[in-house]
Amino acid sequence: MFGIENITANNGWAMAGVGATIVFIGLVVLCFVISQIHKILELWEQRDKYLNKSETQTHPKDIYKIEAAAYRQHHFPAAPELASIYRPLVEQLKEPFNLIQIFEITKKMDLPHPHLSLQRLQEADILVPQGDGTFIWNKQKSN
Amino acid sequence: MSDLFYQFLSNTGYFLADYRHVVMIVVGCTFLFLGTAKKYEPLLLVPIGFGILVGNVPFFKGFGLGIYESNSVLHYLYFGVTTGVYPSIVFLGLGAMTDFSSLLANPKLMLLGAAAQMGIYFTLLGALFFGFLPREAASIAIIGGADGPTSIFLTAKLAPHLIGPIAIAAYSYMALIPVIQPPIMKMLTSKSERLIKMAPGREVTKKERVIFPVAGVLLCCFLAPTALPLLGMLFLGNFLKECDVVNRLAKTAQSAIIDTATIFLGFTVGCSTQADVFLTPKALGIFFLGAVAFSIATASGVLFAKIMNLFLKTKINPLLGAAGVSAVPGSAREVHQMGLKEDPTNFLLMHGMACNSSGVIGSAICAGILWSFFI
Repeated sequence: MFGIENITANNGWAMAGVGATIVFIGLVVLCFVISQIHKILELWEQRDKYLNKSETQTHPKDIYKIEAAAYRQHHFPAAPELASIYRPLVEQLKEPFNLIQIFEITKKMDLPHPHLSLQRLQEADILVPQGDGTFIWNKQKSN
Repeated sequence: MSDLFYQFLSNTGYFLADYRHVVMIVVGCTFLFLGTAKKYEPLLLVPIGFGILVGNVPFFKGFGLGIYESNSVLHYLYFGVTTGVYPSIVFLGLGAMTDFSSLLANPKLMLLGAAAQMGIYFTLLGALFFGFLPREAASIAIIGGADGPTSIFLTAKLAPHLIGPIAIAAYSYMALIPVIQPPIMKMLTSKSERLIKMAPGREVTKKERVIFPVAGVLLCCFLAPTALPLLGMLFLGNFLKECDVVNRLAKTAQSAIIDTATIFLGFTVGCSTQADVFLTPKALGIFFLGAVAFSIATASGVLFAKIMNLFLKTKINPLLGAAGVSAVPGSAREVHQMGLKEDPTNFLLMHGMACNSSGVIGSAICAGILWSFFI
């Protein structure tokens, strides 16, 4: 037997169709799996981070806030005390000044926790923002 | 005394030879010439070519000399072919030598390896069209995978009487890649497509490379368990290489084991091409269909790459489709050469190797699928 008749009689169309489909599906699945391996590995390597996150259900920023709040509560000087530390520094600067200028000075003098300190000074209205990114020192409040 | 002398003469190869032996000896010498002088796949063509010479020395049947005589030494060596042992061992070595990093870095290239397998199924229909029996047609079709060991493995299972012509056709076309593929690649692609540059793949970690053979063997062999003797060994070899704790075994698989298997496989396949068995109209049909299979496989890969480009943001060079056939590393090298001809700064070799290695997996799955159709 020859020709189309032989193909049909021996189930050739079905064999070709099914065979081509199976090999395609097989390689597409393998392609998908190998494209995910590195992502799965990455997840696995960072599992501690994700597990801790799900246990506490807190955002990293929240953790920072909690730690900062606890630190302030127990160890951090009050605003008047901070004002007495920072006043001589600010007096070196011409008003209005940028916070970066204060940071540079604190860095030189190796003062601890400059960010928290400046935040507390702002909260106490001792450092007053001018709305354009600059600040002035409120002498009345700092006395 | 003259009778004794005449009897001796009548048993010599010179007396028993006919034109078919001469034809096959010419074929064997051509293989040796291509392998040694032209350096076309010498690791395959040299043992096969020499095997053709040995297999076509005429002898008196019944002496227990020929490969098809049950008590001969050659017959015992040929046992590794007919049982599929040698192809499996070759796959072990192949796995131990293959670096799948480029495929892991760019998994979508695996689809080109799948597309190039379409040559197998078109040829299946073609072989049935020309009147071959279904098992013979499936064995001929697998030539389209351009994978010698896979072709031998499947033919040994489905149509052992055709091992000689099919193996010779498969290896001949693999050796003739530089002749067959470039015109097809050039015909199906435009200059601008051939100039497409592929971005370098991301860095692949050791862990990925270790996990891949495990994932591969589970996914592929659960889908087509009949591919287990080939894919099981391929992925085992790759795992030995990547796990870094059995370097001795990996080195042996990469060298001594695959070399031994290749010598015996090539030599006995060559010997199996005895003129009286080999030179038949069927063999000519197999050679014709093998060329068709190989050409369709190349074209399918290239065309599929062009189709993929319709949907992809980052285009892929369609030449890579031609490397989807599993002739490692011949077709990847050919793709690379053609890319370099168009643009000397366009390096496609590693991307081609990704398609090549997926072609090896794809053709082994196809062999498993075709075998399972006849169980």
